[in-house]
Amino acid sequence: MSLPTRRTVSFVVCSVALVSLASACTDKAKTVTNVGRDITVVSTDKACTLSSANAPSGTVTFAVENTGSQVTEFYVYGADGKRIIGEVENLGPGTTRKLVVIAKPGAYITACKPGATGDGIRAAFTVTG
Amino acid sequence: MFANFLIGLREGLEAALVVGILLAYINKSGRHELAPRIWAGVGIAVAVSLAFGALLTYGPRGLSFKAQETIGGVLSITAVGFVTWMIFWMARTARSLRGELEHRIDTAVAAGGASLVLVAVLAVGREGLETALFLWAAAQATGSSSQPLIGATLGLLVSVLIGAAIYRGAVKLNMARFFTWTGALLVLVAGGVLAYGIHDLQEASVLPGGNSLVFDVSSTIRPGTWLATLLKGTINFSPATTWLQAGAWLLYVVPVMVAFIALMRRRPTAPTAPSAGPRLSSKEQVA
Repeated sequence: MSLPTRRTVSFVVCSVALVSLASACTDKAKTVTNVGRDITVVSTDKACTLSSANAPSGTVTFAVENTGSQVTEFYVYGADGKRIIGEVENLGPGTTRKLVVIAKPGAYITACKPGATGDGIRAAFTVTG
Repeated sequence: MFANFLIGLREGLEAALVVGILLAYINKSGRHELAPRIWAGVGIAVAVSLAFGALLTYGPRGLSFKAQETIGGVLSITAVGFVTWMIFWMARTARSLRGELEHRIDTAVAAGGASLVLVAVLAVGREGLETALFLWAAAQATGSSSQPLIGATLGLLVSVLIGAAIYRGAVKLNMARFFTWTGALLVLVAGGVLAYGIHDLQEASVLPGGNSLVFDVSSTIRPGTWLATLLKGTINFSPATTWLQAGAWLLYVVPVMVAFIALMRRRPTAPTAPSAGPRLSSKEQVA
């Protein structure tokens, strides 16, 4: 078994750096143009309530609060309900985590998954141009 | 609080396991001076993860979902490489020990010294960002309730205690048992990390097939239960596994386990059989 070389090390460092720099960081600063793009989501054991079912295109931030007793997850899927556009997992009871999605105009599906399993509580979500 | 406790436990368990075994190995091979390198690696990973997590939680910028999953996936798959190296590095020393080729331990350990830091960094840091984001979210909730933070912290603490228990248990085993059991366990751990990394990349749509499941037992092994937590925290068993995950797991675990067992069974003959000595040395050179 050969030793991990310096090349391996620089590969790791570069991958992380590249991923972090190349448009991976999304701006979540609140400006006037962000009106309507901050959505709050409340996930309970039985329900998934969004403050709005639509948003203008751009950087949309979902602040997901878990008020249930189980661990939950929140997903934004494409219109097919399968392709993951964004997801935040490990939402323990009582915590709030943000999901930042760069959303193009179109139809989407949101889902809360209390218990972190199954298809979740789904709803349609529209991003307008 | 309990659900947060289980997340903390799950996130910490695998890292505690790898670091515990690594420290036990260093103790058993008598190279105590290498332990600070492991701790340095752990320290770097914890500090970077917490800082990056805080920056994303409190700072003006967030990390896109795809980027976070890609970081998790790439780091996981890189960690597999390092843990695999660690398994065979330890196994090679085990053979040297039994063959009484003491000087070889020194060479192997010396060569591995630099990489030890990286093994520890990756073992702790591969899911460090996700754990840090989870912890900071729990800390943020403290205004309304301190339960999430207490639960999460207790979970991580228990995982560290389990790591310490594994360390103590492993140190007591005799050499042959120690290497066989920890090595075999690490092959399973690494296989799980590989499957996990693939899943991250599938979620980020970097790899295809995220929805083609080979099995889904999440109704039996429900996420959020003790069983699911322990299985996920140690061997990264995911109740809903994709074909690509299962395929990668098999392609890794089967050959690596076979190679590991073969290496462990190829016992160096005791010094009473003189003919075996030199032959082994030449093999060692090649290996």
